[in-house]
Amino acid sequence: MNGRHLDIKDFVMYYRTSRGEVKAVDNVSFSLNKGETVAVIGESGCGKSSLAKSLIRVLPRNISVYKGTVLLDGLNLMELDEKTFEKEIRWTKITYIPQAALNSLNPVIKIGDQMIEPLVIRNKTSKNKALEMAAKTLRSLGITEEFLYRYPFELSGGMRQRVIIAMSLMVKPELMLLDEPTSSLDVLTQANIMNLMKKIKEELKPSMIFITHDVSLSSELADKIAVMYAGQIVEFNIADKFYHDPAHPYSRKLMESVPTLRMDKNLDYIPGSPPSLLNPPKGCRFRERCPWRFEKCTEDPPLIFLGKDFYVSCWLHARG
Amino acid sequence: MEFWIQGSELKVVKLELHKIRQSFKQLIVYKSALIGLLIILALISISIYTIIALPYGKAVELWKAGEKYWLDNPRNALPSWVNVFSSRKLPETITLSTEIPRAGISKVIIPAIGKLNVIRIEFSFNYEYDDFPSELNLFFRSKFNISSPHLTIHWIKPDGEDIVLKTLVISKEENYYISVDYGLAYDLKNRISQKLSKPIEYGMPIVVSLFVVEDDSALNPDTVKVMKGVYKLWIEGTTFETDTDLDAKLNVYGKVYGWAGTDHLRRDVGIAILWGTPIALAFGVTASVVIAFMNIILGAVSAWFRGYVDTAIQRITEIFMILPFLPIMVMIATFFRPTLFNLLLAIIALSIFGAGVKTYRAVFLQVREFPYVEAAKAYGAGNFRIIFRYLMPKVLPTLIPSIVLSVPDFVFLEAVLALLGVGDPLIPTWGKIIEDAFRYGALYKGLYYWVLEPSFMLAITSMGFALLGFTLDRIFNPKLKEI
Amino acid sequence: MTSLVFIRHLLKRGIMILISVLVAVYATIVIANMGGYVDQIIKSEIYMAVSQSIRQNPAFKFLNETQFKKMVEDIYSNELKRLGFDKPFLYRSFNYWKDALTMNLGRALFLSSESGSRNVRIIIAERLPPTILLFTTINLILFFIGLIGGLSLSRKQGSLIDRMITMLVPLSSLPGWFYGIFMILIFASFLRILPYGGMVDVPPPSSAFEYALSVLKHMILPILSWLIAYSLISTYSRRTFFLMFSSEDYTDLAKAKGLPESVIQRRYVLRTVLPYIITDFSLMLISSWMGAIVTETVFSWPGIGYLLNAATNAFDGPIIIGIVVIYAYLLAITIFVLESVYGILDPRLRAEGGEVGVT
Repeated sequence: MNGRHLDIKDFVMYYRTSRGEVKAVDNVSFSLNKGETVAVIGESGCGKSSLAKSLIRVLPRNISVYKGTVLLDGLNLMELDEKTFEKEIRWTKITYIPQAALNSLNPVIKIGDQMIEPLVIRNKTSKNKALEMAAKTLRSLGITEEFLYRYPFELSGGMRQRVIIAMSLMVKPELMLLDEPTSSLDVLTQANIMNLMKKIKEELKPSMIFITHDVSLSSELADKIAVMYAGQIVEFNIADKFYHDPAHPYSRKLMESVPTLRMDKNLDYIPGSPPSLLNPPKGCRFRERCPWRFEKCTEDPPLIFLGKDFYVSCWLHARG
Repeated sequence: MEFWIQGSELKVVKLELHKIRQSFKQLIVYKSALIGLLIILALISISIYTIIALPYGKAVELWKAGEKYWLDNPRNALPSWVNVFSSRKLPETITLSTEIPRAGISKVIIPAIGKLNVIRIEFSFNYEYDDFPSELNLFFRSKFNISSPHLTIHWIKPDGEDIVLKTLVISKEENYYISVDYGLAYDLKNRISQKLSKPIEYGMPIVVSLFVVEDDSALNPDTVKVMKGVYKLWIEGTTFETDTDLDAKLNVYGKVYGWAGTDHLRRDVGIAILWGTPIALAFGVTASVVIAFMNIILGAVSAWFRGYVDTAIQRITEIFMILPFLPIMVMIATFFRPTLFNLLLAIIALSIFGAGVKTYRAVFLQVREFPYVEAAKAYGAGNFRIIFRYLMPKVLPTLIPSIVLSVPDFVFLEAVLALLGVGDPLIPTWGKIIEDAFRYGALYKGLYYWVLEPSFMLAITSMGFALLGFTLDRIFNPKLKEI
Repeated sequence: MTSLVFIRHLLKRGIMILISVLVAVYATIVIANMGGYVDQIIKSEIYMAVSQSIRQNPAFKFLNETQFKKMVEDIYSNELKRLGFDKPFLYRSFNYWKDALTMNLGRALFLSSESGSRNVRIIIAERLPPTILLFTTINLILFFIGLIGGLSLSRKQGSLIDRMITMLVPLSSLPGWFYGIFMILIFASFLRILPYGGMVDVPPPSSAFEYALSVLKHMILPILSWLIAYSLISTYSRRTFFLMFSSEDYTDLAKAKGLPESVIQRRYVLRTVLPYIITDFSLMLISSWMGAIVTETVFSWPGIGYLLNAATNAFDGPIIIGIVVIYAYLLAITIFVLESVYGILDPRLRAEGGEVGVT
């Protein structure tokens, strides 16, 4: 309708634990055009994984609030019932690539069988045809066909991750959610996977949400950056602008803590730790650790627009 | 350097203890755990009370002591409190003895001619119960040189009927079991039959004929009524030496006794129930704790040293797991008839290399890879130090619920062995009571209290530990945190 | 290719288990003879055999009592020497060991089989089927109750029924035979609609169909008492297992892949949890062989457990030892079958050769 491929507005996901309600995703809004990648950056525990899983509606058992607007090509996903969502959105329009843990794949089912599950079970493709497709996709990712008949524990971390990516590619999704896809891998494998993602971005041109805690890693793919802190997006900016001139204090501190190759730099770190998502403080959630805080920060900061879709949530930008 | 090493080790142990303390605070929140805890505390209080009020040695002696000690109790009597729930009041035992003077007992010695004396003993009691006594016994103790006294015994019912029970010559200790004097039974029955001019078609026991209302209701054993009022038994005896003395004791046995009833040997079941408590607790807790610790130590040793030690311990454990536990216990108990303590030792010996060793070994295999263990190795901590100060505390949290949960297993194990007839015959335990009850036909004779009381104790002990243990499991087991 | 590794691993385990059985039976012999008991049995057997053979030998028909006795004594002491009774127990133990392993356990002292045989092997063989019938049935029923109950309960986590069952579980920690006593009290003694015990009506009905029906009728109370005792805790433990495993990362991915709930339950939750459930099942099986002893006694069910009780009361040593050996075999077979099934279900085992061991 307005050209945007993905448009998320006021997206909320809370869930209940014995210690209280966790506000994992607290009014998140951003948008993407077709073929763009937004990197969602944040520390551990800030709610990024919850964001990805909530978008594909893999929700925790004890969920309490789930609302907002998620427009995919104008279609509001939140209004779809579970059956339709399962049939038409999951692994058809949107795919999800989790962290590269051994646990992401079913340990007792062969790789090939897991890869063809969506096709055989949902699309009623014949098993042989599906296996052929799977083999072809694996080959394009550099994995030989024999691994179709192996079990996950027989593969290395990098290979497992490539299998999952292959599973995604088999359905040619419009939107790919990548949840820290390289966190537990060594640097070389990480580089391999990132190159692979770049290749996919060029050839398949899906929209991607790339979640990571590694600022420098995000620069490989991101067109836009969304910085997440304590369940909220505190800055949503164009990638280039972000890397050269981050708007939010938190973003600033993040950039300052990243080592650069060619410049001498005093590496900084951010003291303290992020607030708990159980009872986030009123006002700006970063203010305890912010070196530029002032009295106004005790109130909830507004969204200050930095351009058509981009914004920062900080009182510092409200002046003048 | 020494202090620093000590400090970090201490920290590990302290951390684990702190975690445990935190978890215990959570315990109070769960109500079921509270109930379990209360039950266990009640059992412990009973045990402490029992050990103080009725010392072990004395209790065992009482339990072993033959009928002589318990002779004043009725056989298989129900607990007294059943009378609260019934409109038909069952009798309690009435004991009258000339050696303990009180109202209703009189003894008079009347000199007659020369060395002859006449002794008159009269017992009188008020019988207001709705049911007949279970037994009637008369005991004599006499002091004389050569010539024994001659006695006549009269029975006087409230309506004035005077019945001569027996004439006899007694020895120094003479017991007259009135209720099983079958000749007398026949005579008494005929007496009533003649009075009613109708035949009595059933074998009327003496306890009935001496207490029955003598009208047509006596003709049917289902309609017999007790004649209430003052009964007298008087003994008139002639003694032939000057200093002959005679003492008598009359027992009118009731059908209820104490708070727990009596068994087939007239023993107070309450003693066994009370003493069963500390025995069950001690047995269960000791077995549980010792076996758990042995399992953990073996698992840790096995996981830490690996190589030959590991293989050896694993093979031995497998062998022990194939040894069928209960059949072997039955075999040992049958062949060797061990005491309770030796039985406990045998159980522990057979369980040291149990399945727990494998489970804990699996856990320790993971724990040994933890960095802090590596660090300990790096600064040269000895093997056993690592095992005890580093590996074992990690497992402590999951150890506690499993110990608590396995206590009832051992309590029941002892009961089972007693039930199968191979327990320690001399010591009063709950299992032994049930075994006695079954052997002497409690279910057929309707003596349900005999089975239900120890069963209740077993059940409530089991529940107490289970309630506590399950909740502990939910608290301490990390995987179950949110479930 | 993994199959070959697996078969080799299975063979290795089989041999290990066999060795364990051998050692276990030897240990049994040693324990049994700690009071010289086995020696006693064998000695009296020898004495009887010697007396028999002399009495039946026509050549010695003419001996009077004293001569007869002396001859028996002489041959008896020779036999003892021949069989090594003057040497330490170690020598004899190996013979006993071989006999026990092959279930060649001689004759019972007091008990005998239905057919009148005193052969321990026959007596035990006679009593094995009823035990297997009753307890396999019970365990299968419990297995399915636990599985289905646990699965559906795990999906209703936090609901009222879930919390109620969680609270009630500790209260059902009493063994099956305990409830058995009360079952008999209520249904046999009080209501008189079900039999007190035994396996079949007396006299047994002639037609096979009616016989089967009668057996079924007698199985109701034992099965009921075990169901009351264990179905709650079985359901609860399965449910806990399922919950522990249903929020794993791979179930999340499965859901993201758009797989329907039923498929996820089956392929992702059930399949991965199955090895642990099978372990649990086999442990339950093993403990039921043990529990059989008291339950069969309570219900007078003519199985191995009841036989053990009878043998204990009659102090019939050979049968007791025989039952211990048979139990050892039962356990070994169960463990072996369990490990094979476990290996089939969990491919991780086949490769590593079983570090993630079951037993």
